[in-house]
Amino acid sequence: MAKKYTMIINLAKCIGCQACTVACKFQNNVPDGKFRTKTPANELKGTYPNVSIYFVKEACQMCQKAPCVSVCPTKASYYNEDGVVLVDEDKCVGCLYCMTACPYDARFLNKETGAVDKCTFCYELKVSKGEKPACVSTCVGGALIFGDLNDPLSQASQFLAKHKGEVRKPELGTHPGVYYIYEGVVK
Amino acid sequence: MDVIWGVSVNEVAWGGLIAIYLFLAGIAGGAFLTASLTDLFSKRYPKVIRSGAYTAVVSIIIGLGLLVVDLGRPLSFWKLLLNVNMGSVMSIGVFIVSGFTALSVVYGYLIWSSAASQKQFNMTSANTEVTQTSVVQGLQAFRKPVAGLGVLFSIGTATYTGFLLSAVTTNNFWYTPFLGIEAIPFLPILFLVSASSTGLAATLIGAFNGGDLTAYKKVDMVLIILEMVLLFILYLSVEPIFFSGSMATLFWLGVVTVGLIVPLLLSFYGITKHKNVILPVCGMVVLGGLSLRYFVVYTGQLF
Repeated sequence: MAKKYTMIINLAKCIGCQACTVACKFQNNVPDGKFRTKTPANELKGTYPNVSIYFVKEACQMCQKAPCVSVCPTKASYYNEDGVVLVDEDKCVGCLYCMTACPYDARFLNKETGAVDKCTFCYELKVSKGEKPACVSTCVGGALIFGDLNDPLSQASQFLAKHKGEVRKPELGTHPGVYYIYEGVVK
Repeated sequence: MDVIWGVSVNEVAWGGLIAIYLFLAGIAGGAFLTASLTDLFSKRYPKVIRSGAYTAVVSIIIGLGLLVVDLGRPLSFWKLLLNVNMGSVMSIGVFIVSGFTALSVVYGYLIWSSAASQKQFNMTSANTEVTQTSVVQGLQAFRKPVAGLGVLFSIGTATYTGFLLSAVTTNNFWYTPFLGIEAIPFLPILFLVSASSTGLAATLIGAFNGGDLTAYKKVDMVLIILEMVLLFILYLSVEPIFFSGSMATLFWLGVVTVGLIVPLLLSFYGITKHKNVILPVCGMVVLGGLSLRYFVVYTGQLF
C-alpha cells in the first residue's frame, strides 16, 4: 500500500539547537548559504521578565496540492508513489517558476547542479531504506516525528490523533503534509 | 546566525532579466500586431509594416535569448519542448512563443524580400528580374495568411506573459482577479494593452519619417488612456503595500508619469498643434512599459 509520509513538528520541544539544520547539510551536501531546512526563531513575545520565544522548523511542506508541481513546465517537480514531493534533477531546466509559486520559500537554485533543490524527506538516502530523515534522527529534544499516516499504528498517526496538528498557510489550499503542534508555546 | 535570528526576507526568484523578457515579448507582440493589421487592412503605410515586422523579430529573439540565459541550466532549454505539462502555463507558453517566433521570422523575411525585390526591380536588367521576382512573388502569396495567423499568435504571446504570472495562485499580487471576478485574471488584460501600446510605440519610432501617422497616434492615445483606467482598477484591487517603498517610486515615476501622463499630454499637444512629437512620446511609452514589467515582477515577490 502506498504510504503517506508526514513530519510532525512539536514546537514546545524544540530548543532551537539547529542540529537538524546541520544534519541536513551534511546528509544532503547542501551548498554554502543554502538550506533545505532551517529553524529560525519566531518573534520574541511578552515583556521582561515574562518573555517567551519559540522556533519554527522550516522546510518543504510536502503539499498534497503543491503549487510547485502544477506550475512546473517539464514535470520535473512531481509526487512520488508515497506522496513525497520531489525534483527530478534531470528534467529540471532551472526556470525557477516553482520558486515563485512556493509560498513557504522552501526551494532554492542549487548552483552546483543548475537544478532546483529542496527537502526530500531524505527519501532516497534514508526513508527508502527504512530509516528516518536525518533531521528527525538527530533531533535532541524529540521535537520531530516522522511516519506514515496511512498506517494507523504508526507513531505519527497516533500522535496526530491525540494532538491538534496545524498546517502553515492553510488559506492557500496547498494541503501541506507537514504538521505543527503549537501546544505549550505562546503563539 | 542571521539565518536563525534575522528577519526573514522574501527572496526574488525572478529578477530583471525576466522583467525585460516580459517587456520584449510584449513589444514583439504589439509590433507584430501593428504591422500585420496594417498589412491586412491598408496599403498606405509600408514603412510601418516594415518597422513593425523587424521590431517583432529582433525583440522576440533577444527576449528568448535572455530567457535561456536566465535558466539554471541554459543548455537544457530544449527539454521544455520534450517534457510537456499541459497544466503549466509556462509549458503551454513555450509553444505559443515558439510559434510566434517562427511566424515573425517568416513574416519578417517576406516583408524584407518584397522590399528587396522592389529595389532589385529598379536596378537589374529585364532578363534576370523575371525569374527572381516570380519566386519572390510566389512567396508573397503566403504573406497575408502569415500575417493573419500571426495576429492570433501575437495576441497569444502578449496575454501569455500575463498568464505566466497570474497562474501563480499563491502570489497575492500576480493572482489579482479582474474586478473581483475569480475566473478573469487581471495581468493578461493589462499586459495585452501595455504590449499593444509599447509595440505600437516602438514601431512608430522605426517609422517616424514614414509620412502622416496621425491615425496611429490616436490609437496609441486610446491605449494609454485604457492602460490608465486598468492601473487605476489594479490600484484599488490590491493591498497598498504593493505600492510602497522603492516600488512606489518605480510605479508613480516610471509607470505613471513617464509612461502614461507625460506622453498623453504631449500627444494631445502634438495632435492639436500638428507638431512632430513621435520620438519623445513613443520613447516614453516604451520606457513606461519596461517600468511596468519591472514593477509587476518585483512587487509581486517582495511583499
